[in-house]
Amino acid sequence: MDKIIKFFTKIGELKTMPRRGWVIRDIKNPESIAEHTFRAAIMVWVLADSRKRNLNMEKLLKMALIHDLCEVYAGDTTPYDSILPKDKKKRRELLKTWPRFSEAEKKGLAAAKYKKEKAGLEKLIKDLSPKLRNEIRSLWLDYEKGLSPEGRFFKHTDRIESFLQAAEYWKTYKNLPQKPYWIQARELHDDPILLEFIEQINKEFHKNIKPKT
Amino acid sequence: MDGKIFHITKEKLKELKKEYEELLNFERSKATSEEAPKILESEDINPEFISFQEDIGFLRSRIDELKNILEHHELIKNPPKEKYSIIDLGAKVKIDVDGQKDEFMIVGTLEANPALGKISNESPVGRALLGHKVGDEVVVSSPIKTTYKIKGIKYEIN
Repeated sequence: MDKIIKFFTKIGELKTMPRRGWVIRDIKNPESIAEHTFRAAIMVWVLADSRKRNLNMEKLLKMALIHDLCEVYAGDTTPYDSILPKDKKKRRELLKTWPRFSEAEKKGLAAAKYKKEKAGLEKLIKDLSPKLRNEIRSLWLDYEKGLSPEGRFFKHTDRIESFLQAAEYWKTYKNLPQKPYWIQARELHDDPILLEFIEQINKEFHKNIKPKT
Repeated sequence: MDGKIFHITKEKLKELKKEYEELLNFERSKATSEEAPKILESEDINPEFISFQEDIGFLRSRIDELKNILEHHELIKNPPKEKYSIIDLGAKVKIDVDGQKDEFMIVGTLEANPALGKISNESPVGRALLGHKVGDEVVVSSPIKTTYKIKGIKYEIN
């Protein structure tokens, strides 16, 4: 039982770990990783239900709950990390754009992130029962690699949770660049229901004022 | 399984077939209670499969998923030579996005991974690029305008 308590205590740290994407953008008291996980789980439940598709809800919800557990050890990362300038002015300029990399850089960054997060997950779950350990690992791999319809659907919903949060922060921080989020959304999402949801976010948040950057 | 057709590259098809056969063999070996399935001794095996060892439910659902893809796929092929200058599925496109250089490959939803430069043909940007040629400028707006200038197109499918 002490190993279980240790596991719960460790994942409890996610309640106070701020998401790095907001930290580098100077958002005050940004959401934590656990807060992101909470809403991503509710979102995937509601959105998967609304699409009347035959998705395994138990699998989706478990996947949502565990998808960022690895960050307890691996930490949160952003696509900007490898090129983020220390100078605040340069940093603000960079954050107005979506970062672009060569094919080799993309492969290298993705492989390094995967390796770091996989190691973090293994360290976290090592004392759980083999059954739980394998279930968590399989769910995480499914999410990471999009191995099933559930894995692919949740991976996109996870990004849309962040996208919605960016739009919400923009209501308070009008200088928070929105363009990178929109570029990412337009290049990433291809699920008709999620694309429609993105359009609804656009209408809801930008009906009076459109973001300039 | 919703009857969707999966557009996949030959490379991806080969990879999925290999995975399907290996997982089927693995499942059979589990059923006959062999202690050490041979596929786990292979250096070729994706080490992730080891995680399926005690997760038979996941193993079965992955096998079903692979079977569905293999039964409902369409291979992405090079277009006829006269259409090499037009963006279609499988095209590698050099672009300039608001002054930044990038390169995308237009793929089906199953292979899409923008972090690796693979853009789904069903995404707004993928859809917008289809049918365009070098020199064209594709604008994707709402709510902020982004301009994709097409600098090069090539097909490298075997």
